[in-house]
Amino acid sequence: MARIDLSRTPSRLAGWVHRWPSLSALLALLLFAVPGHAELLIRITEGVESAIPVAVVPFKESGDLPAGDGVSDIVRSDLTMSGEFSTLSPEKMLSLPSRGDDVFYRDWKLLGQRYLLVGEVSRQGDQLNARFELFDVNTEERLLGETANSAVGSLRTLAHHISDKVYEAITGVPGAFSTRLAYVTRQAQGGRPLYKLQVSDVDGKRASIRLESREPILSPAWSPDGRRLAYVSFETGNPAIYIHELASGRRTRIASFPGLNSAPAWSPDGRSLLVTLSKDGNAEIYRMDIASRALTRLTNHWAIDTEAMFGADGESLYFTSDRSGGPQIYVKYDSDAEPRRLTFGSRYNARPRPSGDGKYVYYVHQREGAFHIARTNLETREETVLTRTLLDESPSVSPNGRMLIYATKQDGQSVLTVITSDGGASYTLPASEGDVREPAWSPIIR
Amino acid sequence: MTDRERDYISNDKAPWKSPVALSLGMHAALAVFLLVGWHWSTPTHEPPPRSIAATLVMQQPEPAAAPPEPAPVPDRQQQEQERKRQQELERQREQERQRELQRQREQAERQAREERERQQAAERERQQRAEAEAARKKAEAEAKERARRQAEEEERRRQEAARKAEEERQRQQEAERRREQQAREQREAEARRREQERQLREQQLQALADKANEERQAERQRQAEAAAAARAREAQMMSDRDKYQLMIRDKLRQAWYIPPSATGDMSVKLRITLFPTGELSSVELVRGSGNGAFDQSALSAVRGIDRYPLPDDQQTFERYFRQFTIEFTPEALR
Repeated sequence: MARIDLSRTPSRLAGWVHRWPSLSALLALLLFAVPGHAELLIRITEGVESAIPVAVVPFKESGDLPAGDGVSDIVRSDLTMSGEFSTLSPEKMLSLPSRGDDVFYRDWKLLGQRYLLVGEVSRQGDQLNARFELFDVNTEERLLGETANSAVGSLRTLAHHISDKVYEAITGVPGAFSTRLAYVTRQAQGGRPLYKLQVSDVDGKRASIRLESREPILSPAWSPDGRRLAYVSFETGNPAIYIHELASGRRTRIASFPGLNSAPAWSPDGRSLLVTLSKDGNAEIYRMDIASRALTRLTNHWAIDTEAMFGADGESLYFTSDRSGGPQIYVKYDSDAEPRRLTFGSRYNARPRPSGDGKYVYYVHQREGAFHIARTNLETREETVLTRTLLDESPSVSPNGRMLIYATKQDGQSVLTVITSDGGASYTLPASEGDVREPAWSPIIR
Repeated sequence: MTDRERDYISNDKAPWKSPVALSLGMHAALAVFLLVGWHWSTPTHEPPPRSIAATLVMQQPEPAAAPPEPAPVPDRQQQEQERKRQQELERQREQERQRELQRQREQAERQAREERERQQAAERERQQRAEAEAARKKAEAEAKERARRQAEEEERRRQEAARKAEEERQRQQEAERRREQQAREQREAEARRREQERQLREQQLQALADKANEERQAERQRQAEAAAAARAREAQMMSDRDKYQLMIRDKLRQAWYIPPSATGDMSVKLRITLFPTGELSSVELVRGSGNGAFDQSALSAVRGIDRYPLPDDQQTFERYFRQFTIEFTPEALR
């Protein structure tokens, strides 16, 4: 390959100019006649609309591994569910390398892949050891090369951990695959509905029932540390708000005022709850100190104010109010300020869920008789409808802000669907028995 | 002429040794003198022909010497000798008698001759006086003539000298004039030469100036044409540049997976260098975004294109696409 030593050019040129002043002048004139040009700059302001292609090669497995999905299968599924990635089916792979040394990048490039994950899992006694490497097929750069381990029974935890690593390495955003979901299922049993409060992995697997009730269970909300759930249960015949410690299963009823006790939401410090109470006549929003049970009234309006939630700053308060005649989203930036209406696009906007980065607020939005999930950019006030399904409710944003889960109807049954927070790709969690509603995405659990 | 006469006489002195011969010569000379004497004084008379004197001389040959007597032979020879002696005596007597006769005849002749000589001497004296007078007169005349001639000669010489002097002067004048003329001509020639040189130089300079002017005009023309061509080419190149810039942008747009962490204010700048085949030679991160995943996505996008669309034109390629900068900034996320 020819190399041009540009560093020597100026002095040569200077010498030449010195020797041939008139010619140089002419040359300069000629050069002058040609309009000077800056180096070409090409600006790319848009990217591919489709998901990033990732090939997750089946991990090389050794030892007596648990039956069921393999680690790489779970990772592939996680990445697919996120909506950010499209994964290559293993049958289409030309080779199945488990180490970087065995990778032929051209093969993966030919297959249109951008990233490649290879690795192996082995069992040593009661422990699973995983080693994995992530490569950029184009730059042939290794972005990740790590090991991880878990108990044999925590293969999924191990897999979600790898998913999180891969996700973060590629997107720059922490993964949320090791987080959890809380939701309520309802199924008919013996002619009566049976409600179950369940907690599962984000892919719906490893679901565990935390509460069963013949009465409705509503609005589960994760404490910031991810160890507790607050929810509304009608188990007493009246709505009451409970705090449920997941590890111990210990439950505390903290609000059972006359009238409405609903829509609990945690303060960022986990010490207080926002609740909606109608004990004073109509639905108003209060802040309850969990330890002292002391209440602070935050709204005071003849209309209904409910479904309150703290913004990312821990100060601003988002809530639903029908003070304008129908439910709309309002924000109150501090306790003394007058609430400001955020939504105007339709007659029904409810259940606000501000994003963790403070940029958006997500909510249920009715348009032409259908209910969708929409979001408003808090800076531009631009509203975007994110879903195409018709009876959408209960949006909940993943802690990394990249995913959103909501309940919708599918074939007459309520299901949970995950979309990217900008409304891309949707992934419906595997159906369980009965309706699944009221999803709540946990924070990142450390 | 006279020199030649004298030479002749002196040369003939030697043969006249005998008195007879001398006498005969004298007589002959006298006769000659008498015959030619009148004409002698005539300055214009031609000299007597040489043959006269010669003829006289040759009629008096000198008697040849007697051959030597042969020695008498004894006996018969003595008789013979006696007879011969008698004969000889006879002959001697005869000779003696002859000589006596001769002497008498010569005596008479001498007397006559002496008479004649006296007369001749007188005549000669008279003649000599006349001759002397004539000679004197002639000498005077000759002297006068000589003087006149001398004067004439003198005058002639003087005139000649004057003429020569005049000629010399004139010659010198002429020479001077010629010198001056030559000098003048030389000066003029020099001046002409210089003038010619000057004119030549001027012409050369003018020619150079004209040529330079023509060249300048031609150059201007060329430059104008080149500029027009360059503009046309530039337009083509710009058009090519824009076209291929769009093609490259489209390709990159389809190769860039904007990572979820990206925000609208992020920007990464990469300088890429291409081979003329459109293949990527190198990528340089000019300015990162601070977000590793974002930078990575841009690098991956740039690397993800196997062959960049490039114009066929090498110059357009060199100018715009050999090396250029790509800025990735997801404006839509703002």
